[in-house]
Amino acid sequence: MPSDDTQSSPAMGVSRRSVIRGAATAGAAGLAVTAFGAALSPAAAASTRAASSTGAAADAEVKAPAGPIVVHVRNAKAGDIEVFSGTSQTRLRDKDLAARIARAIG
Amino acid sequence: MSSHREAPEISKDPVADSTDVYAFVSPDKPSSVTLIANYIPLEAPAGGPNFYEFGDDVLYEIHIDNNGDGQADISYQFRFSTTVRNPDTFLYNTGPIESLGSANWNRVQTYSVSGPSGTLGSGLSCPPCNVGPLSTPDYAGLAAAAVHDLGGGISVFAGQRAEAFFVDLGAIFDLADLRPFANLHATFGLPGIPKGPGVNATNHVNVHSIAIQVPISAVTRSGHPTIGVWTTASRQRVTLWDADRGENVNSGPFRQVSRLGNPLINEVIIAMGDKDLWNSLPPAGDKQFAHYVTQPGLAALLPVLYPGVFPNLAALVKSGKPRADLEAILMTGIPPGIIKGFTNFTGPVVADMLRLNTSIPAAKNPNMFGLLGGDPAGFPNGRRIADNVVAIELRAIAGVTYPLIDPKFKPDAAAGLLTDGLTAASVSASPLGQFPYLGVPYGGFNTPS
Repeated sequence: MPSDDTQSSPAMGVSRRSVIRGAATAGAAGLAVTAFGAALSPAAAASTRAASSTGAAADAEVKAPAGPIVVHVRNAKAGDIEVFSGTSQTRLRDKDLAARIARAIG
Repeated sequence: MSSHREAPEISKDPVADSTDVYAFVSPDKPSSVTLIANYIPLEAPAGGPNFYEFGDDVLYEIHIDNNGDGQADISYQFRFSTTVRNPDTFLYNTGPIESLGSANWNRVQTYSVSGPSGTLGSGLSCPPCNVGPLSTPDYAGLAAAAVHDLGGGISVFAGQRAEAFFVDLGAIFDLADLRPFANLHATFGLPGIPKGPGVNATNHVNVHSIAIQVPISAVTRSGHPTIGVWTTASRQRVTLWDADRGENVNSGPFRQVSRLGNPLINEVIIAMGDKDLWNSLPPAGDKQFAHYVTQPGLAALLPVLYPGVFPNLAALVKSGKPRADLEAILMTGIPPGIIKGFTNFTGPVVADMLRLNTSIPAAKNPNMFGLLGGDPAGFPNGRRIADNVVAIELRAIAGVTYPLIDPKFKPDAAAGLLTDGLTAASVSASPLGQFPYLGVPYGGFNTPS
């Protein structure tokens, strides 16, 4: 089960879900998200589609940040991920997400 | 240098590299203090076409601790914004810049200031750099117009200034062969060097200064006139090169990358392996670095580099006794009762801050050796522009101040004479008589001449 560490930026609401949503809206989010979106493809595409198909309610509750989202996989094996947006950061521990990113660039 | 290029990481990031901090009771406005933080070391005045400027992506701060815990109680924050008026020219200016609103000035920088009560000012103009007689024909006037009155007794200035710090870098970092004493240097068996006058390596270069003048009452607590001052620069955690747009993208929270309180601390006291860490921490965490102050490496080096010149210092070093005098001067302030009628003690918390007892008025006849010269209005009680901090710290490290805690200790005769051979007169640009006090920057056309 992925865990979200949102202690440092609860106001921004940056979570694994919003990262994936950001990847899906790369045009608005800029380079970092574009790169991340590319990293997720094609696995992420499937996840994004899945997320989109789960309903409009999820879209309403997560606001994608206006600026770029930058993802730093500190340790892919441990699933240790940092996500940066605006002046906030969030620490995630998500082995599955880290593994998919690692596979995408490999 | 005071803190120019003093640590491995920050030496690669000059825009965020703090070089000097000054804090003094304003001589022409005695109810206020002037706090100055300099950045961008060793600016060559002719360094166009992209002349020097503050970093739009850097958070600059001047901090004040007024309760002695080594944490900031008041922070003034400065953020800069650069506008290119005409992207279709390579020129910094397309004609003379005769006012801050000149349409000829192509690359304009403004800034905002915030303090404890929120935003104090925004859209404030920096002056341009001093390009030369055709581009900035009345530079002094331009810069004077960039002094902003924010109300409430607060004035600010941010922009290029002449470097006021004087130091013989070439000698000090060539294994401390101080030119006035070079004939006494061990020279490692190499041919001897004749003694001679000092060379001011920081003459004819500029810096970028952030200066704020605030009422003393706004920065002190009632009954506690001593404040601790330092500056920091912070960057967002992520910088990503956007190759499509040809610029950096920044993201994440700001984290401190540069710090400066007392002069020369990270430069010559903190060891190489800890310099970057030191730059990232607040003064409140300085206990872990206290051993560098109480057992300074330079004190052990001086008797080795100058054989027979510092026998009493050598014995003191050999004894292993901690240099409580240096710890007081640099890390806690000098407690009452040590020097008659003087204290700038902030409490037991070990923290590198430039401590200023604001109840001591500006001196009418300042002594460049500050407290060592019997002038309590000078370093290490704050720091004035002309204070000879290199000589003061050299002499203190060599043992001149050790009798403050051990009256039986007799400093070596040479200790009280140590100098790199420079004074404020070694600086070509004269300081101003009013805020922001630092002199008009050297112009690009005439420097080098």
